[in-house]
Amino acid sequence: MAEALGVELVDMKGSGCCGTTYMESIDHKTGLAMAARNICIAEEMGLDIVTLCNGCFEVLTKVNKILKEEKKLRDEVNGVLIELNREFKGTVEVKHFVKMLVEDVGIDKIEGLIKRSFKGLKVAVHPGCHLLRPSDIMEFDDPEVPIFFDSLINVTGAQSVNYPNKLECCAAALLAVREELASKIALEKVATVKKYADIMVTSCPFCYLQYETSQITASESYDVSVIHLPQLLGLALGLNYEELALYENRIDTSKIKEFL
Amino acid sequence: MQKEAPKIFKVDPKFKHELLKITGAEKIMLCFQCGTCTADCPVALRVNEFRPRQIVEDARLGLKETLFSGDTLWLCTGCYTCYERCPQDVKVTDMIAALRTLAVKEGYIHPSFRMLIDSMAKNGYIYEITDFENELRADMGLPAAPKVNLDEVSKIMKKTGLNKLTGITMEEG
Repeated sequence: MAEALGVELVDMKGSGCCGTTYMESIDHKTGLAMAARNICIAEEMGLDIVTLCNGCFEVLTKVNKILKEEKKLRDEVNGVLIELNREFKGTVEVKHFVKMLVEDVGIDKIEGLIKRSFKGLKVAVHPGCHLLRPSDIMEFDDPEVPIFFDSLINVTGAQSVNYPNKLECCAAALLAVREELASKIALEKVATVKKYADIMVTSCPFCYLQYETSQITASESYDVSVIHLPQLLGLALGLNYEELALYENRIDTSKIKEFL
Repeated sequence: MQKEAPKIFKVDPKFKHELLKITGAEKIMLCFQCGTCTADCPVALRVNEFRPRQIVEDARLGLKETLFSGDTLWLCTGCYTCYERCPQDVKVTDMIAALRTLAVKEGYIHPSFRMLIDSMAKNGYIYEITDFENELRADMGLPAAPKVNLDEVSKIMKKTGLNKLTGITMEEG
């Protein structure tokens, strides 16, 4: 999908998990250093970071902002990174791919490249938490009435619908703490989406997995197809079903197939 | 009629000063207990014992035992809805993360979090990327996921003392 839009993605050699919010919950300094290590790799490459995941977006953006603004913490973290012969300099930006599509590619440009229309398809977007919140850190879209993710749906001809509790968390982060509660929270949203839309579209792979897996493991059947944004957008840009690995989606995608 | 024995809480007035020093928890004294955080919390909506407003109050009173026992502190999803809507800008989500770090220092760590940290030390990811995932990537014509520089991960954990703090074993190399 990136190729179709003229975006070249380059892997970050040696990079790993930023530790997510779990790490900062255990030890704040380790959390900062773990994320900063990844940012340093991008700095050395001279490239901005694009994340596929809302969690990575939140952690890397937060750490990037804190370390750029607070000298004391930056010095502390660089005191750790010096062991790796790395230094946080604060020269790159961190973007979620949705933010990149909106700010760097541009919705107008995407609109001009659309080859397949999804007119008539009702889509419930699940923006997820960290694409928007905390808004003083993420600085992307309105945290209560977001529009950008929805615009990326509407550009395909499909219609992004409003539905109750659209901004509620998928609760995937609770899977390891209380699995039943995590599934309950996810399934309540799935049930709402079923009433308002044909499919659900996610911007974060963890949310995607949560909505798919909670449905598969539930005793009753919901059959709400969960599609990851690059898949829908990719189809609209003319890529085919196989290229976008839609056969890997575990809930029937016939509502999408009708348009192919 | 027999009166119920009064509950005894161990208040620790020093605790809040320890908490106030941690990034994200600086504003807890501004909370005026309006309850917006609890009203908008997806977990509080479904779990009676999880009350962000109560957590702030317990933290200010220094009710460590109440806070650290059980899984209450670990039930926050980190969705930042409370943080976003708090009229006093208390940053409740970050405060709960700060409380977790204090709990860890006293030896309380949720087993699932220890597992994730353990995986970070061993694999450089909280969830391991195995040959299976890389084969799937190859089927799609994608290169293997970048190999994590585990030596660097290990150096960070040793330098910050995370290995000693959580008792995880580090890969040598």
